[in-house]
Amino acid sequence: MLALDAGAYASRWRHRHPGEKALLSLGLLVVTVALPPWPGALFCGVAALALLLGPARVGARIVWRVVRIPLGFILAGAVPLLVAVGGDPWLALDPAGLRPAAELVGRAIAALLCLVLFAATTPLADVVPRLHRLGVPPAVTEIAGIVYRLLFQLLESVRVVREAQAIRLGFRTWRTTYRSLAGQGAAIFVRAFDRARRLEQGLAARGYDGELRVQVAAQPVSRAFVAATLVLLAGIVALTLLVVRA
Amino acid sequence: MHIAEGYLPPLHAAAWTVAAAPFVVHGARAVVRRVREDPDSKLLLGAAGAFSFVLSALKIPSVTGSCSHPTGTGLGAVLFRPPVMALLGTIVLFFQAVLLAHGGLTTLGANVFSMAIVGPWVAYGVYRLTRKAGGGLGLGVFLAAALGDLATYCVTSVQLGLAFPDPVSGTGGAVVKFLSIFAVTQIPLAISEGLLTVLIVRLLVRVSPDDLARLGIRTRTSEEVAA
Repeated sequence: MLALDAGAYASRWRHRHPGEKALLSLGLLVVTVALPPWPGALFCGVAALALLLGPARVGARIVWRVVRIPLGFILAGAVPLLVAVGGDPWLALDPAGLRPAAELVGRAIAALLCLVLFAATTPLADVVPRLHRLGVPPAVTEIAGIVYRLLFQLLESVRVVREAQAIRLGFRTWRTTYRSLAGQGAAIFVRAFDRARRLEQGLAARGYDGELRVQVAAQPVSRAFVAATLVLLAGIVALTLLVVRA
Repeated sequence: MHIAEGYLPPLHAAAWTVAAAPFVVHGARAVVRRVREDPDSKLLLGAAGAFSFVLSALKIPSVTGSCSHPTGTGLGAVLFRPPVMALLGTIVLFFQAVLLAHGGLTTLGANVFSMAIVGPWVAYGVYRLTRKAGGGLGLGVFLAAALGDLATYCVTSVQLGLAFPDPVSGTGGAVVKFLSIFAVTQIPLAISEGLLTVLIVRLLVRVSPDDLARLGIRTRTSEEVAA
């Protein structure tokens, strides 16, 4: 299981309408990116983290497991902002770059937390079949649904193949490692197409007419949640503008 | 090479989304047409998408001791063609954002542009040119995967350079900075991805030449079968 997907099914907001959670977390995300990072990103990041750990009940361990790899990229990507090139000397530390680098890191961390707020509370199985309401063609959402269903089986296959290779000393040298990795790649290809063929046969036997109908559980939209979201977003915008003007 | 969530200023994020949109819409139209003619191809396209996602989750050992992930762009482009990859790549990048927090939703357009559009087109172009010039399947696949990967990394550096220009030398200097900081991991990764892709294709030629033939990849085995 992927940490975010497992978290989404275990979260307390699991049964809320995906639209509510999208409004809240993607609203926060848009506000984070659009407002000046100081103090807008700080407010949004704190709000997202508090919502994650508080009402949504996503464990701190899951949040840390999910954010630590993107954090590395965020920090590495900010390093070029600290140096200036092309002057004399050609490469020099630029003290003026500290502020934009800090703003960039702050905004990116806040945005990451907003993304995690959505991803760790909303299973994709609830989102994908509803995407056609946003104008995505049904054929595309159906393909995305098949990708979602197949990828967990394939990830499990890779895990099993990797374990079998490790037991047979498949990762002892660079040479064997590459051979083993190629084996994993080829195994996923063969299994993905084999699964697709079997699905094809199974569907044909059940009268497949070109449409994959999936039952989507009806979830009512909570007006209180939507209202609270709008108040929170408006509050953050107003507070940020107040601090910036002061 | 994903640009993380919230990394790009709003105008840049919007501009890259607009730039990527026509390619993705074109890919989606091609897929919808294909599915209407042959409803079964939906499942094969789903398989191709899941394959791309899981391929990019393989861990390649890198020189620096850490692990890197292949982009899978080159192999995907050679197997499934760039227009289809524009759509499948978008689906995969969306899933990577919401399942792994790699990349993001505001940066989806920029990431789609580099990884699902430029990378596949460069890879496919290089593959076709190599095959036309008489190069073998192995050489074509190696160059496609390695150069597709490098193209992706160059586009990402340009995207970041445009967003964060250098105070002295402007956008050009910033692009050089981003290119050189990511070169440490990306150039060895491009070469390893090229090698790995060759090994994967060699295995596939041996174990499932029929699937490759169905995807339009000419191998010696499939030609013998056809003859």
